Amino acid sequence: MSSSSDSASASNRASTAAALVALSNDLANAAERAGQGVVAIHARHRVPSSGIHWQKGAAVAADHTVKRDEDIQISLPDGRTVAATLAGRDPSTDIAVLKFEAGSLAPSEVLDSSLRVGNLVLAVSRTEGNHLGASFGAISAAGGAWRTWRGGQIDQFVRLDVAIYVGFSGSALVDPQGRVVGLNTSGLARGLAMAIPPSTVNRVVQDLLSKGHVSRGFLGIGMQPVRLPEDLRGRLKLSAETGAILVSVEPDGPAGQAGLMLGDVLLALDGQPIRDTDDIQAHLGPEKIGKAVAASVLRGGASLQVSIQVGERPRRGR
Amino acid sequence: MAANVAWREGSGASALFDAALATVGQKLSQSTVQIIDGRRGAGSGVIWRAPGWIVTNAHVVRTPRVKVHLPDGRKFDAELVARDPDNDLAVLRADEPDLPIAEIGSSTELRVGELVIAAGCPYGLRGSVSAGVVHAIGPVGALGDRLWIQADLELAPGNSGGPLANARGCVIGINTMIAGGLGLAIPSRDVEQFLRRVMLQKRAA
Repeated sequence: MSSSSDSASASNRASTAAALVALSNDLANAAERAGQGVVAIHARHRVPSSGIHWQKGAAVAADHTVKRDEDIQISLPDGRTVAATLAGRDPSTDIAVLKFEAGSLAPSEVLDSSLRVGNLVLAVSRTEGNHLGASFGAISAAGGAWRTWRGGQIDQFVRLDVAIYVGFSGSALVDPQGRVVGLNTSGLARGLAMAIPPSTVNRVVQDLLSKGHVSRGFLGIGMQPVRLPEDLRGRLKLSAETGAILVSVEPDGPAGQAGLMLGDVLLALDGQPIRDTDDIQAHLGPEKIGKAVAASVLRGGASLQVSIQVGERPRRGR
Repeated sequence: MAANVAWREGSGASALFDAALATVGQKLSQSTVQIIDGRRGAGSGVIWRAPGWIVTNAHVVRTPRVKVHLPDGRKFDAELVARDPDNDLAVLRADEPDLPIAEIGSSTELRVGELVIAAGCPYGLRGSVSAGVVHAIGPVGALGDRLWIQADLELAPGNSGGPLANARGCVIGINTMIAGGLGLAIPSRDVEQFLRRVMLQKRAA
């Protein structure tokens, strides 16, 4: 090897090593900067969960980590631990909002940007001992709007390739410049690491702060999936293999008022086949409240159409 | 591991990161050994200090004499000098000349989010490198008061006793266990304290 290529490769090595150090510093700075808006929430046994100081005096958390409604504390980046009140929960998007006295603490810098597959991200949390935690990875899948299994509307499908650890749900999705670009949770899609985009969080926060809940459509029925017999399917020319049998009907509820009875089998709503209870949940978003929905029903071996006026789900205490 | 890493002008940040990681990983692997205790690969170790002082976990070494494999192909014996099961540290000594000594860094300056690189022999696969970031530095629930470096790394059995390095390639920890989806490492400061104790005891004896 000639000496000139020796010195060239040596200076290459020096530049590449410097690049790694520079990236490392950027990531540590991003974690520190985003950490100024990440809080620890004490609302469950043992280990605190993470949350994001989203608007002044309001923090968002992953709803499934907020295990109690009262006696909640929040540990802040300035070291204080203060009392917090639960403003509301939306299990359909796994978001809960807590209110607290922020003092001079500024909320997170949130950026609603379109995340792309391959974008590098950090998940920044605050947990035991009020310490920051971080894990590093990339956006592994990104798509359009989607509905969670509980019927919640999420504006962008964002799946992450980051390590999931204690404190991940409720942690902040952070870009390499330290800006918050989402709320992380593993409670929306069978334990997968997902992020909720800021537009969705903003919408839910608005609802929870103003009304204390997110409105959901309501029919007033209890149901179970049931397999439709072959001969019936053939006779009535039904393509679906299952439906939802009504095992309870609230007499004053929307379905009861429309004449549905115990034993009726719900086949479709507005032409959309109902195979199980999740399909019904998905159909009953806030936009359906007060609207009529056409239900295809099987009763005593014959099919009929019933129009139901969708009501609003009453708030249940937890 | 790529032996030749070309850096092309204007190829962008991602290619740079790729090349940088390969370079640092390769340098780190040079002073990382595989420790064979008995007939099977038991774990990894770090050539910490001249002449021939190899640091590893106490749980990796259970016999007074073990075999050590270097990435450059050399194989030699090493003797167990001291074992501290409470801190899960052990130090071996090998007579082999011209051993590549690891560059040791300060664990006290580590920051959350900083890049870290682990080298070792997971599942007996020599020359393996994994990268992630520092998740947290502090005590871990059931493991008492001592401080652990927690990193979001993919570690596996066989990584125990191997080095955790910073972005400069300086060893700042010894990979010791996997817990809660994270890799836990003993900070280099604790290793230095352990080695000081061992030296003092040797002088006294």
